[in-house]
Amino acid sequence: MSMAHAKLKRFFQDFYLVLVLIFLYAPIVVMMVLSFNSSKSRSQWGGFTFQWYQQMFESTAIMEALYNTLLIAFLSALIATILGTAAAIGINSMKKLPKTIFMGINNIPMLNSEIVTGISLMLMFIAFGVSLGFKTILLAHITFNVPYVMMNVLPKLKQTSKYTYEAAMDLGAGPIQAFFKVVFPDIMPGVLSGFLMAFTMSLDDFIITHFTRGAGINTLSTLIYSEVRRGIKPSMYALSTVIFVTVLLLLLITNFAPNRSTVKNAQAAAAGVMPGEKKPNRFGEFVQKGILIATSFFIIVGVCYTTYRHIAVKHSDELYVYNWGEYIDESVIEQFEEETGIKVTYDMFETNEEMYPIIEAGAVQYDVVCPSDYMIQKMAENDLLAELNFENIPNLEYIDPVYMEKSQSFDPQNKYSVPYTWGTVGILYNTKRLEELGAPVPTKWSDLWDERYRGEILMQDSVRDAFMVALKMKGYSLNSTDPAQLEEAKDLLLAQKPLVQAYVVDQVRDKMLNGEAAIGVIYSGELLYLQEEAESLGLDYELNYVMPEEGTNIWIDSWVIPYNARNKENAEKWINFLCRPDIALKNFEYITYATPNTGALELMDEEYRENTSVFPDTSKLTNSEVFQYLGTEADDLYNRLWKQIKSQ
Amino acid sequence: MNQPLIDLVNISKSFDGELVLDDLNLSVKENSFVTLLGPSGCGKTTTLRIIGGFITPDQGKVIFNGEDITRMPPNKRQLNTVFQKYALFTHMSIAENIAFGLKIKGKSKDYINDKIKYALKLVNLDGYENRSVDSLSGGQQQRIAIARAIVNEPKLLLLDEPLGALDLKLRQDMQYELIRLKNELGITFVYVTHDQEEALTMSDTIVVMNQGYIQQMGTPEQIYNEPENAFVADFIGESNIVNGIMLRDELVEIFGAKFACVDKGFGTNTPVDVVIRPEDIDLVEPEQGTLQGVVTHLIFKGVHYEMEVTTPDGYEWLVHSTDMFPVGRKVGIHVDPFDIQIMNKPASEDEEAVGVNE
Repeated sequence: MSMAHAKLKRFFQDFYLVLVLIFLYAPIVVMMVLSFNSSKSRSQWGGFTFQWYQQMFESTAIMEALYNTLLIAFLSALIATILGTAAAIGINSMKKLPKTIFMGINNIPMLNSEIVTGISLMLMFIAFGVSLGFKTILLAHITFNVPYVMMNVLPKLKQTSKYTYEAAMDLGAGPIQAFFKVVFPDIMPGVLSGFLMAFTMSLDDFIITHFTRGAGINTLSTLIYSEVRRGIKPSMYALSTVIFVTVLLLLLITNFAPNRSTVKNAQAAAAGVMPGEKKPNRFGEFVQKGILIATSFFIIVGVCYTTYRHIAVKHSDELYVYNWGEYIDESVIEQFEEETGIKVTYDMFETNEEMYPIIEAGAVQYDVVCPSDYMIQKMAENDLLAELNFENIPNLEYIDPVYMEKSQSFDPQNKYSVPYTWGTVGILYNTKRLEELGAPVPTKWSDLWDERYRGEILMQDSVRDAFMVALKMKGYSLNSTDPAQLEEAKDLLLAQKPLVQAYVVDQVRDKMLNGEAAIGVIYSGELLYLQEEAESLGLDYELNYVMPEEGTNIWIDSWVIPYNARNKENAEKWINFLCRPDIALKNFEYITYATPNTGALELMDEEYRENTSVFPDTSKLTNSEVFQYLGTEADDLYNRLWKQIKSQ
Repeated sequence: MNQPLIDLVNISKSFDGELVLDDLNLSVKENSFVTLLGPSGCGKTTTLRIIGGFITPDQGKVIFNGEDITRMPPNKRQLNTVFQKYALFTHMSIAENIAFGLKIKGKSKDYINDKIKYALKLVNLDGYENRSVDSLSGGQQQRIAIARAIVNEPKLLLLDEPLGALDLKLRQDMQYELIRLKNELGITFVYVTHDQEEALTMSDTIVVMNQGYIQQMGTPEQIYNEPENAFVADFIGESNIVNGIMLRDELVEIFGAKFACVDKGFGTNTPVDVVIRPEDIDLVEPEQGTLQGVVTHLIFKGVHYEMEVTTPDGYEWLVHSTDMFPVGRKVGIHVDPFDIQIMNKPASEDEEAVGVNE
């Protein structure tokens, strides 16, 4: 009876442990496994590969971000260690009341929400006219690292007898000598773990870095974040794996190294043995020396590299580019720099909404930006854009007039923008699945209300995209603000809800690839990738795209120049360069979003050009519209109705 | 006989508005063993730290070998300190600890090695060079702390309650060790302690301090046998301190009984404090005593018996004697004239604190 009881108890203990481990580590293991998956899919195993690691090391963006991350982590940890140790010594010698007060002041930043720290630091930098960049990230990291160093050093100082310092002075050592020969070795473990903790915190930080970084500088965390837009690339899994392993190693060193010596001493003391010889702690010395060497190495390399960059790449001409992540072939930037001698500082954003306040605040003065349609409208309305001088952009002749015309819905006089990529929203379907269901190939939005697709439909989980489907089906404008029309659309969407398998965003791609659903609403930009992936996985079904007859949303991402650009002519050179057919082709092949460039289309492989999913017949676009910014009132109405749909 | 090695002239020091040393004057002769003795908070450690250079006095001067060193930092002073908690450098071996001062002075390797050997021999710890600090006992650590100080050949060695953390037996051993060291090295010692026995055992000169003032300075015998005020008498050894009236020279009245003494010059019918050491009281048959009382308490102490004798006025006399008188026994109290110590009564508490200030 009691045996059984004990067994049961044991079982639950183990069960609990296993459960905890699974919850904590399963996601990381999944990521690590995927980093070796030769298929880009998140749910299909395509064989073992190192290609993502290779890709990671070959990417200049990633390597530069890695360099920045390490340099910032190292410098900020080093400086914070010096400052924090000095501060800890000062606080330690204070009287009780001021000590308590200072400790409190020290602890608040650690408890403070990072986002508050980040925003307030950014505001301060802007208020004092410090341009955001490497140095602001460094300053921010030093700021949040100092308390952690103090937290590690103070307890060690408390353990240290003040008399050893006096004894050293008494024996003839000057104050500085006494500190470094006597006090410092005593607090060394605290200083070291403070340094490593600061290093790790800095390595880890995203939020504060995100707010304090400026043009053209990324750390690994901000880089990963900006790459998320088009779905995370597998090289990011590889990178995350490398980061995880690095942090794990650092943690092991921090926890293991000092412990070893204390454990040894404690054991010797406990055993009551008096060791005849003082056994120097080889491991500890080794770690200390190793860190010293690594430190000097980092400093030398860092200083050399930084000076090299300053001297070697001192361009008189500069250009600050702000673009979506993964939205250009990197070799194009190099080619532009080579051909024009202009130094490009390239920076990325993830959403229009993230980009807008940065341009508006003028915290970073970008010369050329690539927002989406409705955002261009909003920026123009708020006087944030400069008129383009089209004399400097002769290659505009390659841009199909159709898109200039479509652009007029957000840039009425074609004054501000030059289209870069475009696409549509349509229906993706699984040929085999439709056969099984005995359902016809969809051709129009109203097919999404067909009972035969029950439980097989994937809808976009975003308010404007969902309403677009219903509004277009009824023949209304997708920019409608008429409450009656919107009410009607809401009722339609409610009626459709029982048929819908799920409202999702990114997963449309993966779910369709896995054959989990028959049809789904999707952005056409995903198609080339999807079709290539389906082919490489050897699926026994095809994924085809149709642009619904009623018309759809056509989106255009265009280049614009902000009002405060400092290098406007260079920006126009940039736009002109991107409009060159060979360059546009390169970018198309990299991004795989449809290009409005007729020259590029001519140079393109026939296979691509005739892919109607990517390049639908432009004559069919007559019913299609570009999203416009509708104003807050309409936004509220949309959101209220969408909530009603989602909650029922 | 000897030149003063160190002179403290009109030293005052206060911490947070609290006066710790008030116009203190002290002169230490070369080659002497001077002990600063007093209860905690009397200013003895502060005095030592002022000599060591760890505290700068608010007023006054520190003269060392004829040179004003009041503002000289500790590392420039030709003296060394042995700290209360040893303050050994735990991350260094014993040899490295001892070599610390010599290395800083840039002595040669051979010289340093010789000195380490010599110092370890001197403190009876030969062969301990490569031990770690943690592997030593408290007494051993203390000896290393002394070795570390003396290899620098200081003219003056300051010792701040160096034996305070040791147990009784070890403490007594170390006392002899220190005396031996001082005699062998010929260094001047300034020693701080609150333990009167330690002070009496080791010193040439004892400086009794209280509340920032020097109460009395003298040889151990002078301090013990001729305390200059009630504080010293009370602090050094055990004493019976009673009210008396100096009737005339060489005659004092205590609790109505007349005692012959050797003190003069107090005038006639002057109220005084009378100090009588417990071992100086002879218990005799009642009729032979100057005062009569009853034994009320008896403890066997090994070397002697400790008794309390209550006289009719209610005072309990502390008596040490090798003769035993049981509790309840009526006895007489007899004191030889030269064992009676007469002191002026302080006019107020303040004056008691001031006491004698040479």
